[in-house]
Amino acid sequence: MKWIRWQGLITFVVLLLFVIVAWFLFVDVAVKKIIESKGTKLVKAKVELADADLSIFPLGLFLTGLEVANPDAPMTNAFQVDRVALSLEGAKLLRRKVIFKEMTLEGVKLNTPRKTSGAISEKRSRIPVVSKESSEEKMKWPSFKIPDVKEILQKEKLQSLELIASFRGDLQTEKEKWQSRLAQLPDKNKLGEYQKKINRLKSGKQRGLEGILGGAREVLTLQKELSRDLDLIKTAQKELGQNMTSLRKRMAEVKKAPQEDLRRLKEKYSPSPEGLANASRLFFGKKVGNWTETFLNWYKKLGPILERVKERKHGREVVKPTRGKGVDVRFKEQEAYPDFLIQIAHVAIEIPAGLVKGQVRNITPDQDILGAPLMYEVAGVNLTGIASLKIDGSLNHVDPFSAKDTANILIRGYDVSDMDLSSDAELPIVLKRATADLEARVTIAGETLKANSLIVLKSVNMGTPNEEDTNSLMKALFSVISDIKAFDLKSEISGTIQDYDLKLSSNLDNVLKDAVKKQVKAQAVQFEKRLLLVIQEKVGGSMADLETTIGGLGSIGSELMARSHFGDELFKRSRKSGSGAMKLPL
Amino acid sequence: MLRAIVSLLKTLNSETEPGQISLALCFSMIVGFTPVFSLHNLLVFLLVLVLRVNLSTFILGLILFSGVAYLLDPIFHLIGLAVLTSSGLEGLWTAFYNMTLLRLAKFNNSIVMGSFLFSLVLFAPLYFIANKIIMQYREYVLAWVQKTRIMQAFKATKLYNVFATYSQLRGGV
Repeated sequence: MKWIRWQGLITFVVLLLFVIVAWFLFVDVAVKKIIESKGTKLVKAKVELADADLSIFPLGLFLTGLEVANPDAPMTNAFQVDRVALSLEGAKLLRRKVIFKEMTLEGVKLNTPRKTSGAISEKRSRIPVVSKESSEEKMKWPSFKIPDVKEILQKEKLQSLELIASFRGDLQTEKEKWQSRLAQLPDKNKLGEYQKKINRLKSGKQRGLEGILGGAREVLTLQKELSRDLDLIKTAQKELGQNMTSLRKRMAEVKKAPQEDLRRLKEKYSPSPEGLANASRLFFGKKVGNWTETFLNWYKKLGPILERVKERKHGREVVKPTRGKGVDVRFKEQEAYPDFLIQIAHVAIEIPAGLVKGQVRNITPDQDILGAPLMYEVAGVNLTGIASLKIDGSLNHVDPFSAKDTANILIRGYDVSDMDLSSDAELPIVLKRATADLEARVTIAGETLKANSLIVLKSVNMGTPNEEDTNSLMKALFSVISDIKAFDLKSEISGTIQDYDLKLSSNLDNVLKDAVKKQVKAQAVQFEKRLLLVIQEKVGGSMADLETTIGGLGSIGSELMARSHFGDELFKRSRKSGSGAMKLPL
Repeated sequence: MLRAIVSLLKTLNSETEPGQISLALCFSMIVGFTPVFSLHNLLVFLLVLVLRVNLSTFILGLILFSGVAYLLDPIFHLIGLAVLTSSGLEGLWTAFYNMTLLRLAKFNNSIVMGSFLFSLVLFAPLYFIANKIIMQYREYVLAWVQKTRIMQAFKATKLYNVFATYSQLRGGV
């Protein structure tokens, strides 16, 4: 027996026992560390556990003091659970199937404060959600104060003034151009010289044939020169006429510009009741937007719990093992079970109003193997300030290619108190008291999001914290608001979970709009009058200057016309004198 | 570590059966290449302890092969995946998949399967090659080393005397 050492067997048994004892001693710490590290990786914020206890008889796991930090608010726990009890199926565990028959979560609390930050140093790669919040923030309450016209005109540029300045420049250039051209054209002196020549020719007596022929040549030369000069004058006169037409057209536009400025500024600054047509969006838009975003952020985190990444390699399904390297190839099982499953989880959540209890069934990333979706239902138990609360739905990923998740929320008799509807400094509105009924349904099919909700508020008491410090218009508005005893709010969300569109409507919109319509209209008329007056003051002087400059160009036209008439007259006379000169004494 | 190397050198230089050293090396290859906490390694450890194989060689081999395994993991994965997804073997793997013991062995993991097959195929060749090398070493290299002037000079030193005395006291050869 040279090759066998029996003492080795004893060593093996001792080592095996040592490993088993070590496992018993350290398994709890190992389980705690695994839950903390895997949870932190999943949530992208600290997941901490006070204690973990793996029990063999009965086989189960007990966790105490579970705290899951909110990745978006690291000093707050998204939730904390005082005690989690899980009962394991031992036989399945031997087949590497972690099947929890039952899970009980006791003392679940939401949004509890943390002593230390729950942020992790790892850079978070948040999926950008095209949030509606930004557009809500951009939406502002309509201003009901008559704006100061002088202040407006200090910050706004008047297009009419710009037009006048540009037109004035062009007019000046034209005027200079025409003045210089006029100087180059034959003037009265030159035409006077023609007149003298004509007079001389008329009075002169030609002697002999040579004299007569010489006179005729002179007349012809004079007529030619006069005709050329006349052409110059008439061409200039024609061009000036064309320029004047175009300048008058521009002048007409400049005259219209103040009206255009008035229209533009009125539209921008005039008090209008239109803003109140979207009161529901202003009151509730930001809140509904935030709720939707929080809901979607957590829904996205549920992804790995609902569906495991499965690939097909060489025609076989492979999955990345939870721990370790490589891939696990799956084969057909006689009794198919997911690798991880919580058959039923009993949840008791402590909210400020009391206790919400319910059940979640079939928690597994392998719904396709289980063949059943995750189902959940929770309901309020003796809640304070809420008559009834029920939330149910399913997360169906049995066929990963046509996954459909639903949530139905039904709340009756929810007492609302001191809810800030508008924190706008000019129009602070508080929903002092109301009773709300809510019905909502959310469906997420693949990436497509669709949600509808209807909130009916009854026994409403709305108002403003500082009613004295308001003008007549706002007083009218607050009077209407305080008269409102009930209203509804409908919301509709559609799009994808990355980019969705939120529509809100309420019968509150028209009530508020009608309430202030008359007062706002009167204010608008007053504002328009003031604005027009100030614009006219600013523009009036410049406009008169332009008229004068155009008038100056008109005088050039008159001068050209006078020269033209004089020239025509001379030309006629030259023809008469010409014909006299040509009269032969035969 | 240094003690293990010295121990290995002593073993190589001793009269220990080459087969005991080679077998230790082969077992260390299985444990080193495959994930340590695999079920089959329990059997390997049992064999290592019960069979009279050289433990120092096993420990050194384990360190060496574990290091090499990190480099060979992509190859193990490819081998394992190819074998596990082979249509001809589907029936066999399906039967194995439904056996509790084999599920515990995690045979369906590409790295476990690939590394196990790889070390299994190399087991016999490594055994014979290592045997041959040890014998050659003892016949030629050891004799040559003993005859070198450096070794002669070293043997003449007090340090060697102390080392030899210490080895004899520890029951070394």
